[in-house]
Amino acid sequence: MGYLYDSLLAAIKLIVGFDKDVLITVWTSLYTSTVAILLASLLGIPVGLWLGISKFRGRRALVTLLNTLMALPTVVVGLLLFGVLSRQGPLGGWGLLFTPAAMILGQMVLATPIVANYVHAAVIGADRRILPTLRSLGATSWQASLQLLRDIRFGVMAAVIAGFGRVIAEVGIAMMLGGNIRGTTRTMTTAIALETSKGEFAFGLSLGLVLMAVALLVNLGLNFLQQR
Amino acid sequence: MTETRIENPIIEVNNLKFYYPGNARALHGIDLRIPEKQVTALIGPSGCGKSTLIRCFNRMNDLIDGCRVEGEVILEGENIYAKDTDIIELRREAGMVFQKSNPFPKSIYENVIYGLRIAGEKDKRLFDERVESSLKAAALWDEVKDRLHESALGLSGGQMQRLCIARAIAVNPKVILMDEPCSALDPKSTARVEETIKELRNEYTIIIVTHNMQQAARVSDYTAFLFEGSLIEFGSTDQLFVKPQNKQTEDYITGRFG
Repeated sequence: MGYLYDSLLAAIKLIVGFDKDVLITVWTSLYTSTVAILLASLLGIPVGLWLGISKFRGRRALVTLLNTLMALPTVVVGLLLFGVLSRQGPLGGWGLLFTPAAMILGQMVLATPIVANYVHAAVIGADRRILPTLRSLGATSWQASLQLLRDIRFGVMAAVIAGFGRVIAEVGIAMMLGGNIRGTTRTMTTAIALETSKGEFAFGLSLGLVLMAVALLVNLGLNFLQQR
Repeated sequence: MTETRIENPIIEVNNLKFYYPGNARALHGIDLRIPEKQVTALIGPSGCGKSTLIRCFNRMNDLIDGCRVEGEVILEGENIYAKDTDIIELRREAGMVFQKSNPFPKSIYENVIYGLRIAGEKDKRLFDERVESSLKAAALWDEVKDRLHESALGLSGGQMQRLCIARAIAVNPKVILMDEPCSALDPKSTARVEETIKELRNEYTIIIVTHNMQQAARVSDYTAFLFEGSLIEFGSTDQLFVKPQNKQTEDYITGRFG
């Protein structure tokens, strides 16, 4: 018990003391995940909306594919993109491997199916009559889609939050594509893995606490928005 | 079939055929003339094509992939199935009220002006005016004038349906299409909506699909009886209900089938 307790105290000290290493790591995690989820939303929301609204051959297959992609293991995303981004890979010339950009790309790949799926589910769950009603009032299909999106905004928010949660908590992509380089691509999760194996339990624990605090804040924010 | 002659109809349907995807024919060549500023009821058993027909008047069927239309629907001299028809404009001229009330999850005020907003209108004064006049026309104004900015989802079922009528009226349509507007309402709310329909007749042409023959008899001036995708009989409501010319019409309105 003493060990855990002492580590917890040390961890809190690191956080409230604004330890530089902790701060940089937290910042790296936050900005890569935020950019990744923004890009994933830009892609995933229209895809989910389109899948929910339009009818075409192969729609079911596409939905099943997206569902499967939702369970994509992070290390597989890491592996595939590693192959693409490494020096010998097709995009090797871009020199992205082991940069924040590579992590963002990987996390975007991870989050896009999640966002698309949640948005698709929200469209399916929406009032089916809203689109014909909007069209009967003279809305173009574009205006009607936007209005539908506004009506399912909580579902869309949930989609984004779920994607963000997945992205900020994942280790595999950050480790394999970022490389866990101190000061540039070391995220909270990769740091926790590393520091724990080095025996720096307190440091790992402090990041673990921050990670959970971020999750809590995001959810409080969502609650706040939903109550308005 | 005896022809009730309608002079200067607002809508003229000529040999209208409608096919659902897979070539299933739902309307077999309908000829019908809808009188202006009257209430015309479309009645008939389930599957007779009355809802399909009313959805041909504002081309809502276009939203179904793979459906096909032949023949003409002429609204004020223009064939709405002509190639150069502006469908958005058409839908403003022929507003629609659906079976179950479906206000948007917005305030009462925003619901009414939705059609104006998407048409690009921004004039706040016009909004205020239209909200008042449309809600008055839909006989809802007195009940909601003090809570225009509250959510429309807090209204009762009958109030919601009258709000949907107001929403359709706000864009100044010429024709209001109602697809079983009372089928989800209790008798008291139904009576209120029927009152509203009767008052609207002074300003608008109303076409109403109804399952309920008493309702057709109460609110409409003219009635069309459809059966298996064909128009069997059309005439003034008084005549059609009291002295139907056709055996099938008689069987239907006396409750022998349907």
